[in-house]
This record gives sequence, structure tokens and C-alpha cells, in this order.
Amino acid sequence: MFNQKRLKYTFLAFSILLAFVLIDIFQLQTREFESTSQIIEQQNLDKFYITAPRGEIFDSDGVKIAETTLEPHLFLNMRKINNQNSSEYRQVIQYNFPELATKEINEIFESKDILQSVINLSSVEYEVRNNLISNFDGFLIIDLPIRKYIKNELFAHTIGYLGVPNKDEFIEFQNALGNNQVGKNGIERYYEEYLSGIPGELIFSGSEIVDSKQPIPGNDLFLSINSLTQLVTKESLQEGINLANKSFESQNEIKRGAAVVLEIETGNIISMVSLPDFDPNKFVSGISDFEYKQLDRDQAFNNFAIQGLYPPGSVFKVVAYWLALSENIFPEGLNNKDSKVDCVGSLSFGFDDGSQQVYNDWKPEGHGKVDLTDAIKQSCNVYFWDIALNIWRNFGNTEGESILQEYSKELGFSEKTNVDLPFEKVGIIPDRDLFEEWKITRPGLVREEGWLGGDLMNLIIGQGAITTTPLQVANAYRTLLTGENLSPTLNKNAEKITNNKINISDEFTSFLLKDLNTVTNKGGTAYVSFSILGNKANDIGGKTGTAQNAGNKNNTSWFVGVDSISNPKYIIATVVDEGGSGSAVAAPVSRRIIQHLLEYEITPVEFGEITE
Amino acid sequence: MINRKITILGPEGTNLYILLQFMLFSVISWFTLFSSIESIEFETSNILSRQIAFSLIGLIVFFLTTYLSIDNLYNLINSLFFLSVSVLLGLLFTTPILGVRRWYDLEPVGLPIFIQPSEFSKIILVLFIAKMLSQNSYKLIALSGVLINLFLIFIQPDLGTTILLLIVTSLMFFISDIKFRTAVLGLLVLFLSFFMLLEFNFLGDYQISRITDFFSGEDFSQRQSRLSISSGGLFGTYFTESQITEVFVPVQTTDFIFSLFTRNFGFFGGLALLSLWVLFFFRVNRIINRTKIDFEKYLLAGLLILLGVQILINLFTILGFIPLTGIPFPLLSLGGSSIFSTAIIFGLINRVFIENNIVV
Repeated sequence: MFNQKRLKYTFLAFSILLAFVLIDIFQLQTREFESTSQIIEQQNLDKFYITAPRGEIFDSDGVKIAETTLEPHLFLNMRKINNQNSSEYRQVIQYNFPELATKEINEIFESKDILQSVINLSSVEYEVRNNLISNFDGFLIIDLPIRKYIKNELFAHTIGYLGVPNKDEFIEFQNALGNNQVGKNGIERYYEEYLSGIPGELIFSGSEIVDSKQPIPGNDLFLSINSLTQLVTKESLQEGINLANKSFESQNEIKRGAAVVLEIETGNIISMVSLPDFDPNKFVSGISDFEYKQLDRDQAFNNFAIQGLYPPGSVFKVVAYWLALSENIFPEGLNNKDSKVDCVGSLSFGFDDGSQQVYNDWKPEGHGKVDLTDAIKQSCNVYFWDIALNIWRNFGNTEGESILQEYSKELGFSEKTNVDLPFEKVGIIPDRDLFEEWKITRPGLVREEGWLGGDLMNLIIGQGAITTTPLQVANAYRTLLTGENLSPTLNKNAEKITNNKINISDEFTSFLLKDLNTVTNKGGTAYVSFSILGNKANDIGGKTGTAQNAGNKNNTSWFVGVDSISNPKYIIATVVDEGGSGSAVAAPVSRRIIQHLLEYEITPVEFGEITE
Repeated sequence: MINRKITILGPEGTNLYILLQFMLFSVISWFTLFSSIESIEFETSNILSRQIAFSLIGLIVFFLTTYLSIDNLYNLINSLFFLSVSVLLGLLFTTPILGVRRWYDLEPVGLPIFIQPSEFSKIILVLFIAKMLSQNSYKLIALSGVLINLFLIFIQPDLGTTILLLIVTSLMFFISDIKFRTAVLGLLVLFLSFFMLLEFNFLGDYQISRITDFFSGEDFSQRQSRLSISSGGLFGTYFTESQITEVFVPVQTTDFIFSLFTRNFGFFGGLALLSLWVLFFFRVNRIINRTKIDFEKYLLAGLLILLGVQILINLFTILGFIPLTGIPFPLLSLGGSSIFSTAIIFGLINRVFIENNIVV
């Protein structure tokens, strides 16, 4: 039987115990309140942070490309060092670690920190370590993570490197303070919060450790990038740069370039190379001032794939190609893609204001009768100028005059691709508004008259004020083939973000692929560069580009390739800064990368043909 | 058995008072945690958003428990107990985490959480004893089941929970009509064997050091916790600009949350929170008097004893009266398992209220 009375006793006992608790709390909060405040004021608890092991980074095959190893470090508890024992500790350190210079030892003993790191113990014998900490109260051993970039230069720009955080980074990244390191660039920065881990803590009351919290390691990251493809891309680009140096008289040494391989279906980046590069491991062990300045002068810290701003030249013609087919705007007098204009090597034309001009094609003798396919295949400027003229005459000075710019923006030009890398640049798609703005902000750059028909004619062939990044161009081609403008990603598990969708038909895609295919085949601008593949080139496509630069700078060499027409998997975009004709330098670089992607035998980058 | 219409809020007639109490305690916990973080950003790493998510899931658990009728529950108890003992047994085959086998790591099946089965086996033990006592027959096999349950928690090792359950078991037998002589004898045997096991060093080193630390009067966290409570004064620091620097207390959001609470809301805050609990006990005790069914009486009394002993052990710990135990404060401490198990307790009490037609 349930005993109500005994339950009452139980609750009575509870109440008495609770009363004790309340009385104690009351006393603490009233009578002892003053003395507590004093104790707290004098308590001086200090925190010492221990860097958390950073998450490791793997490539698409699960090969480790950035690793973290924990290595034991000897620390000196500075609060246990006083005038009496400091010389003894100094001797112990000198005796055990003769490799430390006197200056370094002096710095240790001048430290104002609670704990001061003395030396990395990983190569020191276990007995010695044991001896030190069991005989000397002031020594302790803490495991610190060491970052190593296994492939050295190969991923310099994509992975980035670590550094000591600055004031802004302390605020932006919550673990930066405790870890005392932060991603400065690349993946290391973009995924800082994900990779960093939470620093451990040692709580000191005076010289004693009263509490501790273990560091929590960061998360591992898996990239879509493939180490082997990356290596082939880098080698090919370097060969292309060497080739350009050998073949052209250039005022400056040619050393800059970028190449990107983008997976069409997913928007994953399979490789991304920017040259010149550097070894991110040097930032771990400390880089010399001289070396840093040298690299900085070469702009080695720039990732040209997302930060290089180049006029795209003829690779931009696909925008007008898309516009022509969707809006049915062809050269004046034509109404379909198969009608032809007669290209005589130059175009003379007049505007409403009575001005008369002559534009010369890259091929003085002309391309003969060309339709839209021929215009892409031979990169005929006259055909596209005619389209621009048609736009200008129909829409000039009206709402609709920016139709080409609008099509460009749909493909992501002058916008961030939002790739998962920091410091991406956006480039420029010029229009009337921009020129009006520049008249005020950068008056030297634009004419008094502002935006004119000639500017549109420049824009349509990717010249003039337009600038783009290699990744933007690759992504624009990807968008044209899939209808969806996705943000490209390096993180294999990143959520895919759709920037916008465009309306294209399957018919358009097959036209485009077929026409890109003519470029690498007989009569196309890249035919010579791809001829080494023989029949295998029948299924490959691409577009060459040669963009003129202001001043004495050599032309920018472009090629955008598609690995297969029947089953397109990858877009390959290559730029060699000051590399000259796209069909001569950038095209064979892309060709070598495509050979690797299709698992053909890889042949050296050889000079193609100077066209545009 | 009473057939009731099922509504979104559980079977018709969920007791508003119980529901309100549950939500009130949850909100108090949010406010307390809010004071311990500097910025509100809704991330999973943020303790406040995690606690809010736990509380909301707890609310669902509360309603789900309510669906189970007392009759059905009564019939399920033996199987539940068997399941609970098996799950505890299974822990012996896991790899130790932080030196103890106390959690199931659900990472391998894709859930980033740890489950602490002893949180739930506590309730099942109370149910089991309540059933045994209401049947008025102490079968040897049932008694040994209870002992095995306690022993399995003891060897995890989890000293705090073992002591908690020893006290709860003893008190539940005490409120039955067990002869006083038998009760004292049983207690003696239990505590003797408990200390003998201690002697055999069944415990991990860290628990021994917890005990020795305590006897040498040196536990850092308890000292800090007393300072923290003291710095709250009569009215707390939550609404006024505090003159006193914050006190560092280890694990202040979990086991030591009451010290954070009284620092924030002062003596009167602490008094108010504890009064709410006392009120809750009175309310439930009225039903113990009213219901005619012995099992319900034992069940409610057992659950109250479980909650009461947890609260007292927690308070004793943070005030340094007893060594560190690792017992959280129900509904106030940060942590999913503890919130869910308390939600089940509230749900069970709610069901008894429903079946006795007490709505408000």
C-alpha cells in the first residue's frame, strides 16, 4: 500500500535541504557580497589559447593536398621564471638545444606572454623531453598543429595560405584570435570558419593551470579539383608561356597566364591555374622580405583566373551569336543564319551624324562570303560589326540599345561568378551609362561625345573597354550550353547556387556546338593547333580570341575549348597575357589539356597559326 | 481507460498548468544562456539556438508522451525495462569517450549527436519500481533487475547518476508500506556494497580525483561557482550594469547553469525559480492524494522524487556541499538528452492529470 505519510516526510526532508540551499545562497549574496567582489578583482585569471588543428584538404580522388600534423613544442611558463631560477633555465635550454642562437634565447626570456614557445620537439628524443618536464616545473609540452601544402606551388592560388591575423580579421573570424592564424587567400580564407577549428584554452590562476579545454579540430574539405589535371594544366600553360616568349618580340618578358577546366554538368572546377605561382609552404616557415617582394613584383599572388581582367576578344563573339539567333538580328538585309555577307576585309559605313568610317578585319584580303557559322569558324569581324551596326541603326539612342550588354550580363559578365574563392573581380561591360559616369570620374578614358556606335562595334568583338576574367568566360560558355548560370565551385560538397537561368533551345545548343566544332577543323582558326590529333579533332570544339591591348602591350591570347561535341563534359578556358594570337599559343595549350581529359597521348605545346 | 478525442495538442484536455510550467522553465533557460553569449547569430554552433531547438523538440516529445495511456504504459513497462537494461549493457561494447562508456555516438549512422541512455533509463527505472510496488509483491527477479540496472550505470562509470538512482530507489521503497526494519537493512546493504565497489577501484581515475579533490577542499570549479553566485547580489546583474568583472566558471552552461542564473537574477531570481518548482510539486502532490489507483500514486511520487533529488544534488554540487556529480538542473541546463527526458516526465504527469480529468 502507498504510504501517504511517508511521502509527506520525504517532501519535508526535501524542503529542509532546499532551505539550507537558500540560506547559503542568501548569505553568499548578502554578507559575502563585498568580500567576493574583492576576491574576483584580485583573481586575475588568464587565458592562454592553443591553436586548433586545421581541417585537411583533399582533391577529387581523395588525395591529401593540405595536411595538418601535430608536433610537440616545448613551452616555458614565464610566471614560474624569476630572478633566482632564470639562469638555471637558460642553461638548460642552451645545453639541450645548442641550435638556438643566444639572441633567440634572449627573446624567450624577454617574453611578456604567460607561456612562451621554446622549440619544436618533434625531432628530440623522448627521454630528453621527459627529463625536461619531470625535472623542471616551468617547462611544459603542448602539441601544436603544423600546416603543410603537400603539392607545393601546384595549388598556390586555389588553396591559398595562412598568416597571422590582422585587426579586421580578428573581428571577422571568431577563432582567429585563439588560433593566431587565419586563411589569407584562396580556399583557406573562403572556408576559414569551416576549416579553422576551435582553439583550446589553458586557464591560469597566477602561475598555475587551473582548468583547460581541448582544442576542437576543424572540418576536412573535399575539392572537385583533380591533382593530375591540375598538374597537366599547369605544365601546358607554362609551355605556352615559354612558347610565346620564344616566338614573339615582346617588350616585357611574358610570364602571366591562367587556365580553368570547368565541368559542364555540375559547374565543378576540375583545375584552376594561375602563373606565375609561389610555394605557400614558405608562409608557414616564414618568407624572406626579398623573396616576397620579388614574387609581388611578378604579381605571383594574383589568381589571374578570377582576378585577371582581360578584354576577351573573339571568344566574346558567342554572346552576339546567341543574340543573333534568339532575336533574329543578323547583318542588315539578312534574316537567317545561313544567309551570307560578302567580307572584303574591311567595312566602311556611315552614321546618322554623317561620319564615315572604315574598320579593317584581321584578314586584309577578306573571308569571302560568310554566314554565321563561317563567322565563328574564321572569326570574321565584319559579320559581327554588321550585326552591331544593325543593332545601332535600329535601337541606337533608345531603350533597347543595350541589348548586347543585357545578353552579356545574363551570361554573367561584369558580375561575380560567386565562385567559392575570395577577392574575385567582376570586370566591365561598357554601355552609355558607364561612359557618362566615366566622363566625370575618369575623364581621360572616354571621348567627349560619350557612347557611340563604334563602341558597340568594339564591344561585339570583345574589344575596347570590356574586361572579363577567365573563369567568367568559361562559366559563360557553360551557361550557353546548359541554360543555367551556376556559381562554379571548388568544394565538392558545396551547395550549387543558380545565379540565373536563360532561355535556350536544344536546337541552339547543337548549332553552337557544331559551329564551335568547325573552329578546330579544316578552315577554322584553330585547325593547325589541333591538327596533331588527326581524326580525333572531329569531335572537339572551341573558339579562339586575340585581344588587342592599349600601349605597347602584346595581344592577349585566348582559347575556350569544349572537350567533345557529341558528349560535352568540360569547358577549358586558357589565357596567356601578352601571348599574341589565340590560335597560335592559347589554342595548343588548351589542346594539350584536352588530350589529358580525353585520355589521349599528351604531346607538347607547339606553335599554331597566327590568325586574328 | 478513458477514450478521448485526439487533437493537435495531444489527447483532449492537456493540462495547461503543466504545459505552461514546461514552457516557462524553457524560456528561463533561454534568457540565462542569452546572457552568456555575446552575439545572437543563428548557427548550429550557437548554444542559444541549439537550446531553443532542443526545447521545441522537447515540446513535441512532451505531447507524444501524452498520447500513451496509463494502461498501455503499464503493460509496456516490463519490455521497456528489458530494453533499457540491454541498451545499457550494449554500452560496454562501445569505445570509451573521454575515458567513460556513457554515450552512443550516432555519427556512423549520419547523426552528429551523442545519446546518453542513462538519462532515459532513469525514468524507466522509476516506472519499473512503481509497477513492482503497486503490485505489492517484491519478486526476487524484479529486485535483482533494479540492482543490475544500477550496477550497469555504476561501471560506465557514472558515479553521479548511480548515487541519484540509489537515493531515488530507496525513497520509492520508503514510501511504500515496507517495514521500517527492512528498509534500514536494505539501505545498509546497498550502501555497503556501493562503498566496497568503490574500494575495488571500479571507477576511473578522474572520478577518484574528483572525490579526493573535494576532500582536500580544492575544487576549482566549485570555488568559482560560489564566487559567481555571490557576485549576483540580491537582484542580479542582468538588468543593471555590473560593477564586478565576470567570473570564470567551467561548464557554466551545463551543470553549473544555476550559478549563472543566480548571478544574473540574484537571490530573488533564484528564490522565484525554486518557488516555481515547489509550486509544481504541490500541484502534482494534490493529484497523488486524489487518484485512487496505486500505480499512479507511485508513478507521480517516483517522478517527483526523481526531479527533486536531481535538483537538490545539482544545487549541492554547485554550492560545493558535495563533490562534482555531473547531474544537470532539469530544463535549465544546456543539453538535449536532459531536456528530452524531463519532457517525458512532464508528459507522463500530464497523462495522469488527463486520466483524472484535471485540465487546468
